[in-house]
Amino acid sequence: MAQANLSPAVPKPDHVPASLVYDFDMFADPGMIENAHNRALEIVKEAPPVFWTPRNDGHWVIAGHNAVFNMSRDTERFSNAMVSYEQIHAMIASMPEGAPKPLIPAPITYDPPHHAVYRGPLQKAFSPKAMTALKDSIRELAVALIEAVKPKGECAFVDAIAEPLPVTIFLRMFGLPVERQREYRDLVKEHFEDTDSDPSHVQARLKKVTDIMHDTIMERKENPTDDLISLLWQSEFNGEKATLWDIQNYCVVLFAAGLDTVVNGMSLGAVHLATNPQLQAELRADPDKIPAAAEEILRRYTFTLPPRFVSADTEFEGVQMKHGEKAVLMLPAADLDPSEFDSPEEFNLAREGKAHIAFGTGPHRCLGSHLARFELNILYEEMMARLPEFRLDPDKPLTYHGGHVWGPDEVYLKWDN
Amino acid sequence: MKILIDKANCVGNARCAAIAETLYLLDDDGYIAVEEFEVPAGMEQLARRGAKACPERVIQVIEDDQE
Ligand code: HEM
Repeated sequence: MAQANLSPAVPKPDHVPASLVYDFDMFADPGMIENAHNRALEIVKEAPPVFWTPRNDGHWVIAGHNAVFNMSRDTERFSNAMVSYEQIHAMIASMPEGAPKPLIPAPITYDPPHHAVYRGPLQKAFSPKAMTALKDSIRELAVALIEAVKPKGECAFVDAIAEPLPVTIFLRMFGLPVERQREYRDLVKEHFEDTDSDPSHVQARLKKVTDIMHDTIMERKENPTDDLISLLWQSEFNGEKATLWDIQNYCVVLFAAGLDTVVNGMSLGAVHLATNPQLQAELRADPDKIPAAAEEILRRYTFTLPPRFVSADTEFEGVQMKHGEKAVLMLPAADLDPSEFDSPEEFNLAREGKAHIAFGTGPHRCLGSHLARFELNILYEEMMARLPEFRLDPDKPLTYHGGHVWGPDEVYLKWDN
Repeated sequence: MKILIDKANCVGNARCAAIAETLYLLDDDGYIAVEEFEVPAGMEQLARRGAKACPERVIQVIEDDQE
């Protein structure tokens, strides 16, 4: 998908000063596609911490660390929902009985106070304690995937390891058939590559996701197991029993978040390790440094860009914003901001005392962060323990995909057995 | 030394506990379970590191000479 076309630039609205305009197409920027995080570093240097891009219908980009931190936690002024909870529920109430309700991705598009109601049932299932119980099965799978490619002296890392590892773990947790992995992954890809934000097209896309899971969802209603779909069926929202619609609202988020994130995190980590043999040597000699390395990889290559919507005309960090405007939280730039991290381009294992925000801040903090951290750490541990020094295949240059989740399209690794 | 936590604004990153599990106690959801505690002698450095690891910046360290 490297060859995405630039979207047309729209004229800037009057309230946006010319000094805040910076051209960045988050889906197709050529620099980003060539090397995503070099482009993020360039943006940190060149663009204001809050800027407006004329691409993709025109929207704000929040690039400064403090600005991202402040906007993420200001849920009153900056909503996760394109259309407010009250408006959606008024619309649903006015629909004829039995008409299909629009899907509202949960809990991510709910704002406080509704957000807690929908996030609540999942908290315990994703807690550090619950995730600790998955460690052995994550390790077992990581070992099997690495051992399968090891004798070959090379692998297409995304296809052979970064994709099957988290996707299998997630499908098991969710209760979806692992054999259909390919189908699910293709659908997620299609979903993320489609940049059309027309509400009816978005709904059609979301419906495809719920359709593919429909049989499993209905089966768990009758025959609950210990998976997430069963857990959701047993939950209550504001004192009411879960409905099929509630379950579907969760599925669209968990599906995308569970299937398309860790893949990219692992791939970015593999690129960094493959291009830094001295770091590999350091970690092989002292595996206790792996957790710090995993955190510094998350900071140096932060890779998600969640959106916010301005709830009412307001001033933010000295900038006038209008009701309904979109602001994209550019977390990769925030974690490369020199006002927060000294020499941000440097990879530094001793960078203690400053927390990165790769998993977001505020109430929407990534629900899967504990799972993701275990997966990343275990993978790096097993790669260091089992593979000799590996490098990128010089004949296969990297390309990146942009959008809301950044990462390399494929990572070709080689090593000498 | 004392630790004060703005518990209402904890969002469950659990980074404090990843550094100092015995100091920063979590509830079953993985959110901070306490609002303040005295740091046992000898654990001050660990407590400071746990506080700084919070991406939400809700943990405050009160050094003895500030009390
Ligand atoms: C390294 C991997 C991952 C990264 C970098 C990541 C990043 C993020 C970020 C930045 C947010 C906040 C979005 C916002 O503020 O609007 C988020 C939310 C979320 N993530 Fe992740 N994520 C990862 C893995 C996962 C996994 C494995 C799962 C589930 C299995 C998951 C489930 C979720 C959910 C459900 C939310 C919404 C939480 C809410 O709205 O309360 N994530 N993630």
